[in-house]
Amino acid sequence: MDSLGQFEQIVLTAILALDDNAYGVTIHAKVEELSHPKKAARGAVYATLDRMEDKGLISSWLSEPTKERGGRSRRHYRIEKTGAKALKESARTAQRLFETIAQNLGGLSWKPPG
Amino acid sequence: MEAARLTAPPDWLERIVLLAIPPAARESVAGDLWETYRSPRQYAAEALRTVPFVVASQMRRNLNLPAVMLQGALIFVFFGGPATSVLLPVLLLRDAYQQTCRPRPQHVFRETVLLSAAVMALLLLIMSAKSPFPASAGIDHATWFSLFLNALFLSPFLCLLRAGLILQGDRSRLLTAGELPRDALAQAYAKFLGDNLCRNLLQAVALAFAALCGFFLGWNGLVIGLFVLASLYLLQDCAQRRGSQLDFVSLRALYQQELARQQHLRRFLRWLWFTPVLVALHARLDTAGLEAGRPIAGLLDCVAVAILCFLLAALDREHGGRVQEQIGLLDRAREKISPAYP
Repeated sequence: MDSLGQFEQIVLTAILALDDNAYGVTIHAKVEELSHPKKAARGAVYATLDRMEDKGLISSWLSEPTKERGGRSRRHYRIEKTGAKALKESARTAQRLFETIAQNLGGLSWKPPG
Repeated sequence: MEAARLTAPPDWLERIVLLAIPPAARESVAGDLWETYRSPRQYAAEALRTVPFVVASQMRRNLNLPAVMLQGALIFVFFGGPATSVLLPVLLLRDAYQQTCRPRPQHVFRETVLLSAAVMALLLLIMSAKSPFPASAGIDHATWFSLFLNALFLSPFLCLLRAGLILQGDRSRLLTAGELPRDALAQAYAKFLGDNLCRNLLQAVALAFAALCGFFLGWNGLVIGLFVLASLYLLQDCAQRRGSQLDFVSLRALYQQELARQQHLRRFLRWLWFTPVLVALHARLDTAGLEAGRPIAGLLDCVAVAILCFLLAALDREHGGRVQEQIGLLDRAREKISPAYP
């Protein structure tokens, strides 16, 4: 299994957090929130979603067309088993990094929400 | 009405943006841009920032490397390096903007008539008194006349052929959109895999046999090697990706991926089968045409190559459109849950 890039981790986490409401606009908004203060181009989010779909990490489908989108459908996304596994592996690595940095440098006051 | 105009992009701007977005991503990307619309300026700026990424992503997604390399090699053999460097990006862009449905009959017939008209214009130019080609081509007037008549019949012949392709496409059963039970999807996927297995095995045997014949007929070594490699690839491709344990959404994603992969494979094989013919025509162009001082014979070979490439591209569009239609229907399919019995 390929390891995930940092942007892929952020996009996957956004899909995970959004659950049933994960589509282009909401994923982009969540990605901007997660990668704050960095900005993320919406196009980069689409490209990453396509790449991860080709890798089998996520799957997508079209919803019914809606009026507020000019009669167009939303493309919804969902994490697949391989995606969830890859994301857990990335989280473990991030946790190890966090603990090592906190031990040696300190000053990492960030706490996960909730 | 006024409120709708304020929350929707102007028609002309939307049409431009829609044209720029590759068809495969048009529905979702255009919808997202519409949903976040605030002003024409913001809409245009957002589209300008987004579309290049989407085009690049579709280029990567639809890149059929073996087919593009084969087409690139054929262009190089026929037209040389400069033409290849110009036409390769065109081929990649054409893949990115691949239609998500089969070509419309009117469009198909217009295209066919245009090609035939171009062939006839070329023949008329060769036959005219002010032709830049030497008249001493060794072809008498009766032969010219028959050539011209053949060109006249080319248009209805090609139209008939393409009509046949459209009818064949209409006959092939597609999965219906709307609600679909998971078991029906699994059954359709299993049938698709079974059909592919048979087709791939047959093609592998045929390719190996053609390579053997080509060896004795003195084909180009590279072409024989390609036939052997393709045959071996098809044999190892028989190990299939079953999805019996997957739920509806994952199974659908697997089915769509496999459909796209098989489409790429078919396109490469189609061009591979015609490669020996194209290479032979090129060799004839060199030995019996231009270098032998018979430019008209060479030009006629060029016409044959153009028609052959046109037919191959038509087959690609017809088959590719059918597969994209199937992928689109799967995208919109919903799982039909069977009622639970007490």
